[in-house]
Amino acid sequence: MESTDTPGAKSSRVNSGAVLPGREARRRLRKVRMGKDVLTRLLVSIAGYGVVISLALIFIFLFAEVLPILRGANLESPTSYSNPGPAVETRYIATERYQESAVRFSADGQVNFFDPRSGEAQLEEQVGIPETATVRSFAFAEPRTRLVAYGLSDGTVAVARHEYALTYPDDVRLVTPKLEKPLGEDPVVLDDEGQPIEVLAVQESARGTTVAGYTADGRMLMARYEARRSMMTGETELTRTVHELPAPPSVPTRILVDTTMRNLLVGDAQGFLHYYDISQPDQAVIRDSKRVIEGDMVSVTAMEFLLGSVSVIVGGSEGSVSQYFLVRGDDNIGRITRIREFERHPDSITTIFPEYSRKGFVAGDAGGNVGIHYGTSARTLKIENVSENPIANLTVSPRNNGILYTDGTGQMHHAELWNRHPEVSMKALWNKVWYEGRSQPDYVWQSSSATDEFEPKFSLVPLTVGTLKAAFYAMLFAMPLAIFGAIYTAYFMSPKMRGMVKPTIEVMEALPTVILGFLAGLWMAPFLENHLPSVFTVLIMMPLAMLAMAWLWRFRPAWIKHHIPPGWEAAILIPVVLVVGWFAVWSSPLIEVAFFDGNMRQWLTDVGITYDQRNALVVGVAMGFAVIPTIFSIAEDAVFNVPKHLTQGSLALGATPWQTVIGVVLLTASPGIFSAVMIGFGRAVGETMIVLMATGNSPVVNFNIFEGMRTLSANIAVEMPEAAVGGSHYRLLFLAALVLFGFTFILNTLAEVVRQRLRAKYSSL
Amino acid sequence: MNEQQQSLTHGMGAGMFEGRKSTLSLSREDITIQVKDLNLFYGKDQALKNVNLQIPSKRVTAFIGPSGCGKSTLLRCFNRMNDLIDICRIEGAIELEGREIYDASVDVPELRRRVGMVFQKPNPFPKSIYENIAYGLRLQGVKSRRKLDQVVEQALRRAALWDEVKDRLGDNALGLSGGQQQRLVIARAIAIEPEVLLLDEPASALDPISTAKIEELIYELKEEYTIMIVTHNMQQAARVSDYTAYMYMGEMIEFGDTVKVFTNPSQKATEDYITGRYG
Repeated sequence: MESTDTPGAKSSRVNSGAVLPGREARRRLRKVRMGKDVLTRLLVSIAGYGVVISLALIFIFLFAEVLPILRGANLESPTSYSNPGPAVETRYIATERYQESAVRFSADGQVNFFDPRSGEAQLEEQVGIPETATVRSFAFAEPRTRLVAYGLSDGTVAVARHEYALTYPDDVRLVTPKLEKPLGEDPVVLDDEGQPIEVLAVQESARGTTVAGYTADGRMLMARYEARRSMMTGETELTRTVHELPAPPSVPTRILVDTTMRNLLVGDAQGFLHYYDISQPDQAVIRDSKRVIEGDMVSVTAMEFLLGSVSVIVGGSEGSVSQYFLVRGDDNIGRITRIREFERHPDSITTIFPEYSRKGFVAGDAGGNVGIHYGTSARTLKIENVSENPIANLTVSPRNNGILYTDGTGQMHHAELWNRHPEVSMKALWNKVWYEGRSQPDYVWQSSSATDEFEPKFSLVPLTVGTLKAAFYAMLFAMPLAIFGAIYTAYFMSPKMRGMVKPTIEVMEALPTVILGFLAGLWMAPFLENHLPSVFTVLIMMPLAMLAMAWLWRFRPAWIKHHIPPGWEAAILIPVVLVVGWFAVWSSPLIEVAFFDGNMRQWLTDVGITYDQRNALVVGVAMGFAVIPTIFSIAEDAVFNVPKHLTQGSLALGATPWQTVIGVVLLTASPGIFSAVMIGFGRAVGETMIVLMATGNSPVVNFNIFEGMRTLSANIAVEMPEAAVGGSHYRLLFLAALVLFGFTFILNTLAEVVRQRLRAKYSSL
Repeated sequence: MNEQQQSLTHGMGAGMFEGRKSTLSLSREDITIQVKDLNLFYGKDQALKNVNLQIPSKRVTAFIGPSGCGKSTLLRCFNRMNDLIDICRIEGAIELEGREIYDASVDVPELRRRVGMVFQKPNPFPKSIYENIAYGLRLQGVKSRRKLDQVVEQALRRAALWDEVKDRLGDNALGLSGGQQQRLVIARAIAIEPEVLLLDEPASALDPISTAKIEELIYELKEEYTIMIVTHNMQQAARVSDYTAYMYMGEMIEFGDTVKVFTNPSQKATEDYITGRYG
């Protein structure tokens, strides 16, 4: 019978198997347990390494996208063939967009079209030089106009254009070259006295074709031709205006006319550059002369405009290559100014040819070297020796993917070119660059514009400064509020109120930033503009009102004391904040009338402070709101987790609660507060939507609180959709992302290091 | 009687009370703290019930009793540390030198300066050894470096710690051993010249050697301070205290001369607790 079992027997039976499962079952359990253990460890490791690897991959991807902009240029697969056309001097060569056709203008006026890769002849034409005259000089307009001109011995000029018609028979591209004569079949007269044209310049614009020439008897002539097709007869009617310009001080070697028809530049054999103001051709004057090649017995041996005909690249007999343009001073007179120099060629420069769609150029020298340079970034991407003889003619294809050159041996040479990203150099990204048309070097970000001649301005400085500026003002607003709020909540507030306040603020973090940005840009920015004084009123009055309230609180009557338990004092500040806020807005117009002539915004402008509607103040407040929950939450935890025995120790030593906060709590919580601030800062740096919508996105370099900014992140968001995939701009945006990534990476690493140190120093027990 | 004394002190070391006679008498002592009809509530729970007590000046008074009996709570009443607990409510009176300490006009930080406290767990601040002691002085507005140096040295000497730390006053106090930390905390407490020292199980987290040092220290400090000590260690209470109070369930069961309480308790409950028959 069970009841007779002794207690001892019962307990031994319990121990031997009734509670724990059997041996075999336990063995199985151990196996399962171990399996789970291994599995968990595996999963955690995979996840951990996965995070590290994906971060590394992001980094590698960004880097791989950026890397090509640091590469130089490359020449590949050279081919040579004998010159198509007559065995005379070559005056000019050029290729067509797809490198399926190229043209050679010979010294005798014959024009040969050929395949630049194989040399296969395509078409033979004549410029039409009369038998009574000989060719004395040659000039070409901006390459994209494809206009060339021969200066003749009888004072006339033969103008021709090489054209290419594109057709797609059977869906295959077919390039058909032809020669046009825009000013008519016959050469046009430049010098009525019939003197030979020794040096020639030609340029084309909407206002017609301008030709400038230096005659054998030392006169400078400039003529403008306008061809108009008559509606009645169908014949071309030519109008011509000729001006005689002041004679240059010495014999010119090269003349250039810009596309605005306002400036004419003359280079001479003494190494000087002369600037003619021809905006009023009747009163044309030499405004400036400047020595552009230093040294004795030197001369300007080659000189060409870059795209847009603002910058001049001057090549000297001693191999120097430098860029000049006119910089207007206070008197609004342009002065020839040396902008930058490129890597010197080993031998005298013989020819320069500008790129068709960028601010780059190629240069050939007497030592048979071809140099590939870029203006804005001041980069020399390559200088390669391609021949033993001097480079006579050199051209680059319209898409910058091939070069064609002659070296005076009767041979034509072609090479494929890789030169995709010359616009960017580390120096140009982070230093001041002197852009065309500016009076001094500057940091500018302006990636695109409406015109083709636009010089892209890629300086990361405005974006970096903008990023820091936005983050700085956001932190200025958020840091005191969040940290003091955190200290109060964690240390002084009653637990019940804390239980309501903390989650509420943390929920704010979930607020989509697009809503904050929207509110900031469309509501707050105009509101602040109209109530500017209220900002300062609040700034001054809010703390004062709170202090006054705290003082009054000491004299509270007993019934209030009874109703508001300790730790709930903060609640009575809510009406104070509302009233002060309302008062600030209400009094704003009155203050404007009293102190700021009725309009503070206007007043600011009058005293010389720029005011943008969307400015750092708006962003500071809006992004501050986004950052506050992050900082508050972490800092609050840090303060709250200061061990109670430390605060009690301090209080027991006769410290007031405030002394305890300063002396012990903040010290012990400092690692946590520090990382809260750093994480908040990291968030402010990376934040996109708010800055995108509320900054105005103007890339300025300043810390004025009333001006906007453009941040790295907003810039990526704005420009990525419009950047051509694989282009320099596109890759540069990746570089901006890399910089941003580097920013947060360095910031977080730094924060972690400092935090570890602080923790080692102030860690609680 | 003698037999009973023998049995009571069994296990406390031979001859602990040898030569120590019940010569103390409350009626002949100066009274520093007077507790009158003290009731303390945590919300609805009553933690102290009608406690009446007189703490003699410059003596060591030990509070013993089982866990949860209210001895620490009582101790924390003397420097109003219980104020930090929201739901804590106090009735009755505690007078320090004849002045009610729960009066609204009392400056609590000043009270706490006069009534120093050392906690069970050593709680040095995460600062240097020097700054730990200077902290309380700075709170009182002492700024002179020379004065600080002097008081720091003095306090450390009196806490018998000077020789061990004099070469590394700038080191972080958290690098000290537990016993050293506790002596540092005592030094910190006496640096601000309190009148009363409350020790809440000051040696319970320490090894025997550190404990012995603390006890020695207490013995020396009672020359100048009125000391109250809460302890679970019966031998410790017997060794260091002049008077002993036995508490149980929030009530003061017995209070009197230590020798008498340990050798000849007037209450059965006290005797049971001391001899280990409690529970």
